[in-house]
Amino acid sequence: MKKGYWIAAALTLAFVGFGLTAFQKTLTPYLSFDEATKSKGVVQVMGALDKQSDRYDTGREELSFDLLDPQGRRMPVMYRGIRPGNFKDAISIVAIGRYKEGRIEAEKLLVKCPSKYQGAEVEKAYAAKPSSS
Amino acid sequence: MFWPGVAAIWGALFAGVASAVTYWRVDRGRRDLLVFARTTYAAFVACVVASAAILMTLLLQHRFDVSYVNSYSSLELPLHFLISTFWAGQEGSFLLWILWGSLIGLFVWRSAKEQEAPVMVVYLATFLGLVAILCKQSPFRLLPPPYPEDGVGLNPLLQDPWMVIHPPVMFIGFASLSVPFSFAIAALWKKRWDGWIARAVPWALLTFLTLGTAILMGGYWAYKTLGWGGYWGWDPVENTSLVPWLFTAALVHGMFLQRARKRHRKVNLLLACTAYATILYGTFLTRSGVLADFSVHSFIDLGITGWLVAILGTFVGLSVVLLAWRWRSIPVESEEESPLLSRSVLFVLGIAVFCVLGGVILLGTSAPLLTRLSGNPSQVQTAFYGKTTSPAGFLLVFLAGLVPFVSWKGESGAGLFRSARRSLIVGAAVVLLAVLLGATRADSLILLFVAGFAADMNLQAVLRKAKNGKLSGAGGYLAHVGVGIMLAGIVISGAYAVSKRATLKVNVPTKVGDATLTFLRVVPGTAQTKQAMEVKVDRPGGRSFYAYPKMYTNSRTGQLMANPSIKSSATMDLYIAPQQYDPGQPETFGRDVRLTKGTTTNIDGTGFTFRDFNADRSAMMRGEKTILVLTDLTITPPDGSKHDVTLKFVFHLDGREAEAQELEIPGVPGSKMRVVQVSPNDGAAVLRLVGISKDPKDEHQAATVESLSVDVTRKPLIALVWGGFYVMMAGGVLAFVKRARDARRAVLGAEAADRVPAESPVAATGPAMPAHTRS
Repeated sequence: MKKGYWIAAALTLAFVGFGLTAFQKTLTPYLSFDEATKSKGVVQVMGALDKQSDRYDTGREELSFDLLDPQGRRMPVMYRGIRPGNFKDAISIVAIGRYKEGRIEAEKLLVKCPSKYQGAEVEKAYAAKPSSS
Repeated sequence: MFWPGVAAIWGALFAGVASAVTYWRVDRGRRDLLVFARTTYAAFVACVVASAAILMTLLLQHRFDVSYVNSYSSLELPLHFLISTFWAGQEGSFLLWILWGSLIGLFVWRSAKEQEAPVMVVYLATFLGLVAILCKQSPFRLLPPPYPEDGVGLNPLLQDPWMVIHPPVMFIGFASLSVPFSFAIAALWKKRWDGWIARAVPWALLTFLTLGTAILMGGYWAYKTLGWGGYWGWDPVENTSLVPWLFTAALVHGMFLQRARKRHRKVNLLLACTAYATILYGTFLTRSGVLADFSVHSFIDLGITGWLVAILGTFVGLSVVLLAWRWRSIPVESEEESPLLSRSVLFVLGIAVFCVLGGVILLGTSAPLLTRLSGNPSQVQTAFYGKTTSPAGFLLVFLAGLVPFVSWKGESGAGLFRSARRSLIVGAAVVLLAVLLGATRADSLILLFVAGFAADMNLQAVLRKAKNGKLSGAGGYLAHVGVGIMLAGIVISGAYAVSKRATLKVNVPTKVGDATLTFLRVVPGTAQTKQAMEVKVDRPGGRSFYAYPKMYTNSRTGQLMANPSIKSSATMDLYIAPQQYDPGQPETFGRDVRLTKGTTTNIDGTGFTFRDFNADRSAMMRGEKTILVLTDLTITPPDGSKHDVTLKFVFHLDGREAEAQELEIPGVPGSKMRVVQVSPNDGAAVLRLVGISKDPKDEHQAATVESLSVDVTRKPLIALVWGGFYVMMAGGVLAFVKRARDARRAVLGAEAADRVPAESPVAATGPAMPAHTRS
């Protein structure tokens, strides 16, 4: 039986090593806008959507918008794909991608919508619905 | 506070503590207190049931003065969704967990026999921490008056039948995993090394079944509701239920091993503690708000993080200390060396892979927490999980494939090859078929091979058992058949899904892949149905059908909801997910200007200052569907004059178009202005100005055609995922039935194995347990 345990231990060890390597390789750090402009790999940045900045190019299916951090700094983001459903309602947006030529080219957007409709959310019902989104 | 509810929860805390303390004294020799310990346990159950009943009653009665009721329910919810609001929030779901736990405890005390006192002390402890959380963070808090007449409502995404039953099933799994943990701790404490296994196996199997079912239900819900085309996204919420399930699977295998071989005691004690710890750790991760920035789910920190850490620390600490203290006294049977190719070795390897798989997923999920320690909190890409889980999955399924033809005593390689020949051919046939159908990727072909091999090996074993009339003992094999089928489904539907994105102009047939899609019209919603998009799908060969992906605005929250339409057939799903609907716009003349409160915007010489809104909020609170919003502006035209203007804007919540008053812009003859949009949340309004711009092009917007953007995905053989899962669960149920029956029978025999002192009369007279082989 000892053999079984030894093989299991060796297997586990090998896998843990493999797992840790993969872990390090796929780690995407959360960066401030400043840090993101200096980085080369895949990063993620979070900010509030500047609601006047978003433009959607239907032909090329390209969404571009600006994120604002709490200090009011601006980070342009470009995303190839259709505008996420609740884009306009987002309380914050996480863009995951690479920084290239002055903007984040996002591979993925996490649109965080309030999932609890309390307090401020009751007010939202006043807002006129945007016509197309 | 709503006092009856609060009293019930505090009652549960006191009765629970009293019961635990009394059980402790029973264990110290006061056998006469046993009746009192049981009575107080019954009181604990009664209080928990009462508080759950009170919360449910408050929800059904629409008592919106209760904060929890107000936050999650509303008048319009049909009964089944109203019931499900019980577990829509954190407090209610903790209460549900405790409720199942208290009820399961009634069975545990009966089956624990002479171990009743120590087991119940630990078992109660696992729930008292949660009860204490509810004493602090009560679901019975009241709102200050005036009381709202309607509640905020249930998250529209959760308004789905699958989400009604998903949490209750999941929490049965969470609660029943406390049983093996309690037995393991009691075993360490009392040095009864073998008796606990037989009695804890059914509960571990129950967790395996219920947690597995809940995970799949969650995945299926995501697949048919969220519209991103998959059923699994490696989100922390998903991972923290998958990991305990993997450790439970490891524990179940370890328990079978110990039952059959009377060895590997340390492994099972360790696994029972680890499996329970992963549930606590997952609860901490998802409910403390530590992952708030890393998931699409909003995790709200209720201020119970400290409590969760304390509970986690207590039980992990207890496990580690007890294991370390007893480690050397856990008996290790000296045994003849098992050959490499024996069932024992396969089991040990399988358990190791389960643990490594669970550990790696846990590592990825914890990434934000771990990396925070060394600077920037980071997340792993979902690619991490794909990379690490596929080799582990390969190994697991491969081992599961070998099991049926390898006995405990061991097998020769040649003998195994002879029995496995047919299954190797089946695996190869699966690969060949896949290649003929266009599969090319080597990694997925390897996985398909092992999936076919394992499914067939185990199928042979099931058939052999069935022929001998012993189908009841084929649960494990049947589960493995399901695992093989499921793996094939996961690989094929994942690696060979084809997704295309298209914008469908109304009434214009558009070719997407090999199908032609025509967007026909918007089907308005009714009281029972949601607004949907009618899309005609023409598939090659002249077959056509109508798809109705849903797309609607939630009337309460203004959130846009989109549900895909899925056309399922045996060979593939056609998945049409609506992404964006553009109602089209006639050519408009006018210039839209967004104004924010208190700022002045200059448009070609004329200043617009947006002073304030004047909205009739009380009408809104009364639930009226029409709201008047007055927008106060100060306008300064180029001539230097100053005008205060108020524009009326009537907004309808029932979907009718808003009405806006149109006025001439003071000082600009021939011009017009009106409000087209207000958002009090941002303190912003949009004005449409006509006849003010110097350049006419600024006021011209070209017409757009009505269109619908969709993602169209072909998911081949995804039915195998669900089908394989059913087979796996059927196997699990078979095993559960058999083990539950055995547990009742074997309690007596197992006592003998533990050489219980004579104080327990049942043990002395019990029949010896029949020698047990794994099935």
